Amino acid sequence: MADQSNLTTEELLRLLFMESSLDHLMSRSADSVQLPAFSDYITALCRQRGEPPERVINRTNLERSYGHQLFSGRRSPSRDTVLQLAFGFGMDYEAAQELLKIARKSLLHPRVKRDMVLVFCLHHHYSIIDCQIALEQYGLPLLGEGNRNE
Amino acid sequence: MNDRKDGLHLIEAAFSQYGYPPDFLADYDQLECLSGRRGRETFLVRARADGALAVAKCYDRAVLDLDPAAPAPAEGLDHPGLPRFRGKYHSDRYLCVVRDYVEGTALSDRVRETAMTQEEIVAVCCKLCDVLSYLHSRPQPVIHRDIKPENVILTPAGGVCLIDFDIARTFKPEAEADTLFFGTKGYAPPEQYGFAQTDARTDIYSLGVLLRYLLTGSVRENKNIRLYRPLEKIIARCTAFAPEKRYPNAGAVKKALLAANPRSQLLRKGGLVLGIAALCAVVMLAGWKVYQAATYSPFHSDAIPAVLNDEERVADAVAYMKDKYGTDLFDSPDDLATVGLLRRTLIEVYGLDRDYVYAFQPDGLPQESGDYFMPWGWEDSQNARRDTVVYAAVKVHDPAIVADWSSLKDDTGEYPGSRVAVEFAQETGILTGANRPYDITAGELALIFANADRVFASAETE
Repeated sequence: MADQSNLTTEELLRLLFMESSLDHLMSRSADSVQLPAFSDYITALCRQRGEPPERVINRTNLERSYGHQLFSGRRSPSRDTVLQLAFGFGMDYEAAQELLKIARKSLLHPRVKRDMVLVFCLHHHYSIIDCQIALEQYGLPLLGEGNRNE
Repeated sequence: MNDRKDGLHLIEAAFSQYGYPPDFLADYDQLECLSGRRGRETFLVRARADGALAVAKCYDRAVLDLDPAAPAPAEGLDHPGLPRFRGKYHSDRYLCVVRDYVEGTALSDRVRETAMTQEEIVAVCCKLCDVLSYLHSRPQPVIHRDIKPENVILTPAGGVCLIDFDIARTFKPEAEADTLFFGTKGYAPPEQYGFAQTDARTDIYSLGVLLRYLLTGSVRENKNIRLYRPLEKIIARCTAFAPEKRYPNAGAVKKALLAANPRSQLLRKGGLVLGIAALCAVVMLAGWKVYQAATYSPFHSDAIPAVLNDEERVADAVAYMKDKYGTDLFDSPDDLATVGLLRRTLIEVYGLDRDYVYAFQPDGLPQESGDYFMPWGWEDSQNARRDTVVYAAVKVHDPAIVADWSSLKDDTGEYPGSRVAVEFAQETGILTGANRPYDITAGELALIFANADRVFASAETE
C-alpha cells in the first residue's frame, strides 16, 4: 500500500473491497488511473528486462537518434512507431495493445486487414523485416508508411 | 513456414467475408480503426491513388437500415470548415462514406494543453457559428447533432473544422420525432432524446453546452463558477429547454458572441465614453463659466508628471528638490525615511524654526496648534510614516487645511489632521505614484514634498 502510483489491477480490486468510503478511495487511487508517460513506460520496460534501449531500437528499424528521443520523451511516437517498438520489444498481441493504449493510439482492430497481419506477425514473433515482407506481399502499407502527420 | 502462410491466407479469407465494398478496398488502404461502434465503424484510410489520408465511415446496412441511393449525410457540402466529401461506396452489407482527413488538434486536446482565453473561446465559437450557418441554410438543412470538443478540429492555419458527420441528417419537416437516438450525452438537447424532432436549434443547444464547457471545464451548469455575464446569458439562451426560447439560428448566436466579446465590449464602452466625452465638451463649452464656478478647485494634478514609473517618479522628485532647494538630504533615496529626516527637511529646506518643529504637545489628544508643527513627541530615529509626511507637506504650504478637522468626530488614535491631509493629498494627486502606506523611503518623502510643492505652486498661478 506504500506506493499508490503503481497499483496493479489486483491491488486495485483488493482496495475496492477494503475501502468503505468511495471518496476516500477515489482520492487514494487517482494516481493509478492516469496512464504513465509513454517514455517512462518503455524506459521501465527496458530496465525490467535488463536490456539497454539501444538494442531495442536496433530491432525496430527506426533511425537511432529518433529512437533515443522516444525513450527520453523528447519526441512522441506515431501509431506506426509504437508498433515498430512493439516489434523491437518482441511483444505479443496483448503487450502491444497495452503499449498502444499507453501511447493513446487506436488499438489493433480485427476489421483492419493490416492490423490483422500485424497481430499475426507479432504472435509468431516475426522480425520487423519479415513483417514488412508480409505486408508487402499483401499489398498493404508498410510500417512507417501509415503515419498521420503528428 | 507453411503454417504461417496459411495463417495469413486465413486473414485474407476472413477479411473478404466482411463484405466491405470491393471498390472501396481497391481505392483505399485501411490504416486504423478510429471507432468501432455497433453498425458504424470509422477508419483512417489512405488513398492508393495519391497517398492522401481520409476518414471512412462504414455503416452496416443490416443494423442501420440505410438506403444506399439516398445522398450520404452531408454529401454535397463545400465549406472550408467541413471535411471535403471524397466518395461513397456500397456493397450488400456496407455503405462507406469517405471524407478528407482533417489535420490539426481536436478542441478536446487543446483545452487540456493550456488554458484558452475568453477571447480565443469566443473566436472558436464564432467560427463554428459560420459552419453551422452554412449547414443550416442548405436547401435541405443539415443538422450535425453531435457538436462536442472531440469533433471540432483547430487547423494549423488557424481555422476551425467540424468533423464527424456520422449522424448528421437532413431535416424532414414532415417527420414528428426522431426515432433513433444519436448524439453525445451532456451535449445533446432534450428533444434529441425524443421529445420532438430535432432541427437547427439542436445544434444551437450543443453549441451552448460547448461554450460552457470551454469556459468552465464542465458541461453542466456550476453555480459556483462565475462567468462573464454576457457570455452566461448566451449560454442560458442557447441551452433553453424549449427550442423556441433558443436563438433562432447560428447567425444570431454569432452576433451575440461578437457583442459579448470582452474586446468588443471594451471598444463599445470606449465608444460610449468618447460619445459622452464629446457631449460633455459641448455642454461644457456652452456653460463653461457655470461649470467652472460649480466645480472650481484651486488644485489640480497637472503639475505632477503622471506618465512615469515609480522609480522615475522618485528620481524626478529627488532631482526637483535638489534643483529648487539645492539640498542633498535625499541623496540616498532608498534609505528608510526617519522622523529626523522629516524634521531636517522642514528646517533646512522650508526654513521653519527648529524649536517649532521639535516642540510637541506633552499630554492629551494631539491637536493642531501654532505652538508645535507636529503634535507628536517622536524621536528623530523613528521611521517616518507616509501619513505623517503628507501631513507635514500639506501643512508647510497651508496649515489651515490640516487645522480644519472639526468634522472628524472619532478618534482611532490617529491624529485627525493627518487624515485630513491624506484625503486632501489623494484628491489633488500629491499621492500619485510610489507611496507605500506605512514606512516610506527618503526618495518617497522627497516625492511627497515635491508633489505638494507643484500642486500648491500651480494653484497660485491659476
